[in-house]
Amino acid sequence: MKIFGPNELLEEVINKNLCIGCGACIHLCPYFRSYKGKTAMLFPCTLEEGRCFAYCPKIEVNLDELSQQYFGRYYEGGPLGNYLSIHTAKAGPKVEKASFQAGGTVSALMSFALAKGHIDAAVLTDKEGILPVPRVITDADEVLQCSSSKYSASPTLSALNQAMTDEYKKIGVVATPCQVLSVAQMRMNPLEKEDFTDSVALVVGLFCTWAIDFRAFAPFISERVDITTITKVDIPPPPSEIMEVYMGEEKIEIPLNEIRELVPETCSYCIDMTSEFSDISVGVLEGRPDLNTLIIRTERGQKIVNESVKEGYLILHDIPEENLEHLMWAAGNKKKRAFVKAKEEGMINTEGDKKSYLRLQSKTVDEITG
Amino acid sequence: MSALLDKKEGAEHLLMGNEAIARGALEAGAKVAAGYPGTPSSEIIESLAGVAKETNMYVEWSVNEKVAMEVAAAASFAELRSLCVMKQNGVNVASDFLLHLAGSGTRGGMVLVPCDDPGALSSINEGESRFFARTVEIPLLEPGDFQEAKDMTKWAFELSEELKQLVMLRSVTRLSHASGNVKFGTLPTEESTARFRCDGFILDPDEGVVISAPVDYKHSQQHEKLKRAKEIFEDSPFNTYEGPDKPELLIITSSACTLYSREAISILGLKDRVGLLKMGTTWPLPPKLLTRYLSLTEKILIVEEVLPFLEENVKVIAAETASEIGIKKFYGKNDDTIPMVGELNPDHVINAIAKILEIDYLPRPEEYSAKTQGLAFFGAPQRELIFCPGCPHRASFWSIHNALELDGRKGFVCGDIGCYTMALLPTGFTTLKTVHAMGSGSGLASGFGKLGQFGLDQPVLAVCGDSTFFHSAIPALINARHHKSDFTLVVLDNSGTAMTGFQPHPGLKVNAMGDNVPDLDIAELCRAMGARVEIRDPFELEETRETLNELMEDKEGLKVLILRQICGLSPEKKAGKKYEMAINEEICLGENCGCNRVCTRIFRCPGLVWDKEKQVTRLDEVICTGCGVCADICPAGAITRKEAV
Repeated sequence: MKIFGPNELLEEVINKNLCIGCGACIHLCPYFRSYKGKTAMLFPCTLEEGRCFAYCPKIEVNLDELSQQYFGRYYEGGPLGNYLSIHTAKAGPKVEKASFQAGGTVSALMSFALAKGHIDAAVLTDKEGILPVPRVITDADEVLQCSSSKYSASPTLSALNQAMTDEYKKIGVVATPCQVLSVAQMRMNPLEKEDFTDSVALVVGLFCTWAIDFRAFAPFISERVDITTITKVDIPPPPSEIMEVYMGEEKIEIPLNEIRELVPETCSYCIDMTSEFSDISVGVLEGRPDLNTLIIRTERGQKIVNESVKEGYLILHDIPEENLEHLMWAAGNKKKRAFVKAKEEGMINTEGDKKSYLRLQSKTVDEITG
Repeated sequence: MSALLDKKEGAEHLLMGNEAIARGALEAGAKVAAGYPGTPSSEIIESLAGVAKETNMYVEWSVNEKVAMEVAAAASFAELRSLCVMKQNGVNVASDFLLHLAGSGTRGGMVLVPCDDPGALSSINEGESRFFARTVEIPLLEPGDFQEAKDMTKWAFELSEELKQLVMLRSVTRLSHASGNVKFGTLPTEESTARFRCDGFILDPDEGVVISAPVDYKHSQQHEKLKRAKEIFEDSPFNTYEGPDKPELLIITSSACTLYSREAISILGLKDRVGLLKMGTTWPLPPKLLTRYLSLTEKILIVEEVLPFLEENVKVIAAETASEIGIKKFYGKNDDTIPMVGELNPDHVINAIAKILEIDYLPRPEEYSAKTQGLAFFGAPQRELIFCPGCPHRASFWSIHNALELDGRKGFVCGDIGCYTMALLPTGFTTLKTVHAMGSGSGLASGFGKLGQFGLDQPVLAVCGDSTFFHSAIPALINARHHKSDFTLVVLDNSGTAMTGFQPHPGLKVNAMGDNVPDLDIAELCRAMGARVEIRDPFELEETRETLNELMEDKEGLKVLILRQICGLSPEKKAGKKYEMAINEEICLGENCGCNRVCTRIFRCPGLVWDKEKQVTRLDEVICTGCGVCADICPAGAITRKEAV
């Protein structure tokens, strides 16, 4: 892993509008802060190597090193990454029915993990109005407060950094693919600190095709409804192609192609739809608003899922072949598009002083883009 | 009792130039003095305020220079002697009234004392007040030493009364702020009575209406007064010549440059070759006297600060009398013999003389020069302008800077005049992007706030101090509100005119003479204008920052955030610390990732010291004011505060 400092992060990521605002560089130091979806560097920092750069999922990401670390093999570029099994899932009877999206699988997993002591803190994303707000939750009953999807980028990892500073030892985190990539880098102790311990006990990754820029979304939505009255925002699974904005009983529908205008450019470089470096990944299931797709990737993910099912927190079924095929098609498309774009723009495996977005075996790049 | 009130004639005291001017006013029996604080002028009003009770004077720090001049003029119209005092650019503020006052004339002797700041030692300009004397056509005097500062001030009142015209007496930093021996005259014993006579014939200078019209009549009267001044100046004892009868070079100079010129002639040992004509009455110049001295030699060097005022005026006389005195060779600012910019000193004059007379002069051995320069470059510690320990401005600008960075729309701050002007520099996180005249921050912001129509989408902020608010921000705010300009003003209210030495202003319950007076509330004034007003303590960093971000996002017109915290140097603050601070060296992250010395590298309160050897921050308990802010800056919790007992 090539590590540089905050100045390179500013130059290569923030100033080039590649920052998605994941929060990985926030709460580490006094310099980076997030405000309303945007990451700002308050003052210059002169360090040549910093965690901010090392954790950033948008620069010098060595996919082979990460893959070796977590899956014991080079990055292979499959549409869904490495996994043990794929299912459909929904919250079980032990989980109170809340306003969660789809099957409530994520809330079920986090409630279970907290209730049974698999984790001592959960890093989740709450909201204030339509602004996503990171939270550290330690009470299983509070997990449901953070249910429901947020479609604009959130600095959730700032709460993970905060939880680490507060010395939680078994932290569970729910994160988008870019954030999961960052967590995977954090857990590798990139700065080789002597007193490092991996305190992330569970990573639940979300499926994501893109996020909305909050700074663009807020004025966009304000033109249509009174922003303070919004109670819920939903994008039903394909093929619906709309965003639903609820104000209590009332609802307006916005075509997704209008929403896509608000997606920051940086999402088009994202190679991962299904959070490939998580323990468990969860997303929607096409055509079934009441269910989720669930991918188990690691042994510890497997263990949590098994126990959740056993304890009545989660209900699993086999995924229909047609759904799996379509998921792979969608994820593969996203990956290929992003790799082609990044390759064309010279952002992969650069040589000399030039910083690279991604590093991996070049034959894998050829396979994905070919 | 103040030495200024020493009644003994001939008594000698060591006085600062400004105190000498104050003593001159006392000897003249001035009854009213008004001014606005501004370095290097402030001690004149302060000295007079200190003796106001004993001398039955009325002394005030006015809201601004224009009002100061008006207050002093009222006294003159009521037949009292009056003084008004300001720094160089203050005259610009007062200049509209000045023009009309020069046209209307005065009654009781009235003297305007501007103190200029060549080299801008305490200013962001090196403006010249002398040109105003020529522009508005009033007599100008320039004392050349401390005794003259006193004597000429006293005489200026007499001259003013004789001419029924305002007289300008101009000082400079090195005269106002340096000290010298002054031999006292007598203090008047008779009391003065104020009476404004205004029922006489309209053109009667003593009993008519006081106005600059009818202009053709009054203007011609003004010229009669100037002609009379010239006649008086021909014999003035304040114009002196020292040197040979036939000098090779004649130096014509005024003010503090008299001292530099005299020293230069002395160092070069040229008393027999160079003559020194020191002019105390520099506008209008007495032509006969000038012609006489110009006739002595062919080479003339004019030494003055800052602009070639004397030089131009001498050249006019030389041109007018060329047929009589012949063609002269002039040296000065126009031919770069003397620098056009900055303060002068004896070295500058020495170099000029040496060049003209082709003398080899080396002030110090070259080796020595090179060595000292080297030592200064490599050895002298970096000492830039910086806010004091515990200064509320540091905290305020920390929050303003952070709010702007977080907002991310390239918002900017229009600055103003006060200690906080230093927020142009790293000590204020280079937050200010414009600084001009007092109140101009708000005026510029009022203009920027209307540029949305042309695509300006950056948030606009302005700052001003409490004294500046009253001085001239108010009209700009009224303008902004009326025209629906969209900006946020941050009033940095540290309860006094801190930069110039805590002079009171209309926001305080005390005046220059120590009397209790009604205070005006900045928040209420702004609310009365219809502005949204918030008040915060700048030491509450996060709350201040949040409020600012919210105000910047509020698109509705004029917003005012008042950040209230008394200056760290104020007597109240110096009396005791609010917090005892401590630093846990074990926890301090130093230069490691996670901090990288944010307290000593960025925040840079002088109370925090970087210990290079131990690689931790130390507290300088002697200068720490116990404001407690650094505890909120430290990311590791290494700096802690506890309430002081």
